[in-house]
Amino acid sequence: MTDIARPIAPVPLSGGDGPASSGAVHTVALHFSDGVERVLQVAEGELVLDAAIAAGVGISHQCRSGSCTSCIARLTSGSAEMRSGSCSLLASEKAAGHRLLCLTEASGPASFTLPYGSTSIGAATEAQAFINTIEQLASDVVRLELELADGFWLDFKPGQFIQIKVPGSDAMRSYSIASTVADLPRIELLIRLLPDGLTSDWLRNRARPEDVVSLSGPYGSFFLRAAPATIPHLMVAGGTGLAPMLSMIDTLRARPGRKPKIVLSFGCATRDGLFHLEPLELRQHWMPSLETRISIDRGAPEDGVRVGNPVAAILDGPIDPASVAYLCGPPGMVSAARDALEAAGLSPENIFAEQFVAST
Amino acid sequence: MNDSTPIRRRVRTATGGISDSRVNDAKTQSQYQPYKDAAWGFINHWYPALFSEELGEDAVEGIQICGIPIVLRRVNGKVFALKDQCIHRGVRLSAKPMCFDKKSITCWYHGFTFDLETGTLVTIVANEEDKLIGTTGITSYPVQEVCGMIFVFVRADDFPDADVPPLSHDLPVRFPERSEEFPHPLWPAAPSILDENAVALGMHRTGFTNWRIACENGFDNAHILVHKDNTIVQAMNWVLPLGILPTSDDCISPIEDEDGPKGMMQWLFTDRWAPVLENKMLDIKVEGLNGRFYRTSVVLPGVLMVENWPEEHIVQYEWYVPITEDTHEYWEVLVKVCPDEKAQKDFKYRFDRVFLPLCLHGFNDCDLYAREAMHDFYADGTGWDNEQLVSTDVSPITWRKIASRWNRGIAPPGRGVENATKHSPIKYRRLSEGKAPGYFVEKIND
Repeated sequence: MTDIARPIAPVPLSGGDGPASSGAVHTVALHFSDGVERVLQVAEGELVLDAAIAAGVGISHQCRSGSCTSCIARLTSGSAEMRSGSCSLLASEKAAGHRLLCLTEASGPASFTLPYGSTSIGAATEAQAFINTIEQLASDVVRLELELADGFWLDFKPGQFIQIKVPGSDAMRSYSIASTVADLPRIELLIRLLPDGLTSDWLRNRARPEDVVSLSGPYGSFFLRAAPATIPHLMVAGGTGLAPMLSMIDTLRARPGRKPKIVLSFGCATRDGLFHLEPLELRQHWMPSLETRISIDRGAPEDGVRVGNPVAAILDGPIDPASVAYLCGPPGMVSAARDALEAAGLSPENIFAEQFVAST
Repeated sequence: MNDSTPIRRRVRTATGGISDSRVNDAKTQSQYQPYKDAAWGFINHWYPALFSEELGEDAVEGIQICGIPIVLRRVNGKVFALKDQCIHRGVRLSAKPMCFDKKSITCWYHGFTFDLETGTLVTIVANEEDKLIGTTGITSYPVQEVCGMIFVFVRADDFPDADVPPLSHDLPVRFPERSEEFPHPLWPAAPSILDENAVALGMHRTGFTNWRIACENGFDNAHILVHKDNTIVQAMNWVLPLGILPTSDDCISPIEDEDGPKGMMQWLFTDRWAPVLENKMLDIKVEGLNGRFYRTSVVLPGVLMVENWPEEHIVQYEWYVPITEDTHEYWEVLVKVCPDEKAQKDFKYRFDRVFLPLCLHGFNDCDLYAREAMHDFYADGTGWDNEQLVSTDVSPITWRKIASRWNRGIAPPGRGVENATKHSPIKYRRLSEGKAPGYFVEKIND
């Protein structure tokens, strides 16, 4: 076992447009939220993320293909454009200076700000883990409980994800951790079953307790930020986007002293896809400052379950503009929630989001 | 580490023989999981530390609560409390008190000197210019002295001063202000240590069990069987039931008002509980003649109130202050309002002649050994999973749920403190000298 960070997916070589031959090198400054500045020398045409990784600077990243938005940063001066191709940033986000560093090239001196601290993104480690339980929670959701094998450990922040090597393939898949550091060596994941997904097929047909899986992590810049207990926390989760919220809620709950007010809006498509209602009720019992709102997109309303989307549910009540918000779910839900919360007065810097990456 | 076969950390074995009829099924247990995790107690609460008379002017004492060593010093009548662990190399300041002025306390080993009020490192005796000075310190604990008792707010190092609640939030509810909410037609309003002219007389001693075992004993309505043959019960011809069974769902009221203590009140001696006076199969019958009405309630962080006990106009308070995960300081305090000197004298006289020997010792000594008899079953934590609770255990279960919900923090296991590790040569030496582990620091004599 090594604990050297390594790229978690092959670097996509965008058809031959490698570093240009001009040989120009640009100075790129990265400003982290803890006030630390790191300066990179980025060759003309080189990707900023690649330069940062080569320099050992901790930048959150995952897909390295412009879809997951883990590596989002904001350009504050200079010029830096993203390579053409598919990119999940909205035009308005680009206009506001947002860039995905995995697609961004430097074409002159530039400065970026990053929404996390310089030491937030630790080196990922590789580990092996036993499967403790595979439990189907709803029509399309499985709870997978792993236990790190003897001699393996990994630290993570509540909200971060790990990657699992899907047994029987070389593919890696990312899942947010639903448990907390205090639960280690146990790691709990919530996995959505797709009709013909790689992981889904493995979970349905082959995975058994006591099997061993390889994983690596932690990854991601979506994690619980330090905030005073007087700041309300808003959480919007779609489907298995509940996982990082559970980790954050349990971490907040276990902290001594005053707890912040938390409103968790959790939505699923249909009633038979809804899951984890009991654990959520339990957490409300344990933590009087937690309120949960459960929604289904379609179906009949019932006690404690409203019909509608989780974004509408989070807006159903007064919103303190000083709140911090955590969003995790499908891209449509995340962007709708972001727009709605910004409209409600939240500062964009206080909205943290993780959206699902389409995978098979 | 090589790439050989991964190894499980430990093998799980199934436990069997647990009845499906137990009240504490898996779902109920999960509701009080935080309580199960609180082996070292709840932190960020007010706890009694010493009786006032135990800390004279300029005296220094060291105690331990929730795994946190605490040193207390009284200067100009005022009590200060600091973490009793020098930041330098962890020595307990109280083991050999050294104070050069009225504002500070000095570690007797290397001379690190801390401000009494804030805990800041203000100087080092033989190293006045060291750059560490002023940049660090030991945690200070808010103190309140009431009714002859010193209370300390035992907090995590980063718990802000602004969030410290009033002492009354960690004390039993008061009467008559809540008499309407909790009527007590069979006895006069119970006094509180916060009442004017209240006098608290009592004792504290170390109990050798986890604090939760002790706390639950205090309001467990089936445990009064252990008191059946107590001298005071027989001498006074009291009707003390064999047990008390719940008869309705509202036999216990949670106390959860936002601006006050959190806990629960048991509606004893109302139609919500039925006293059991005989068991026909075993041919046992309570023969007492004199009604002995009382009521128990408990609030966080584990404070028992027995109203109308051991006689009218008196209330018994108990605390089970966690020291480590297997020891607690057991406090028994009787409170009575004594408006004048004569009333104080009479209360003290009766306390010394009757209540101390026959109640706090005679009666409550049974509780002490009963709790110790439970300790081993719970000592490694599995007892909390394996116990099989019944209907009368609605009391501990309700308490556990409320405590899980309203505690201000679960104390982490003590580190670097006495008895945090079970194998210490010093502990063995002390045992061989006939000294049991306890609450007070052992002072160095030279």
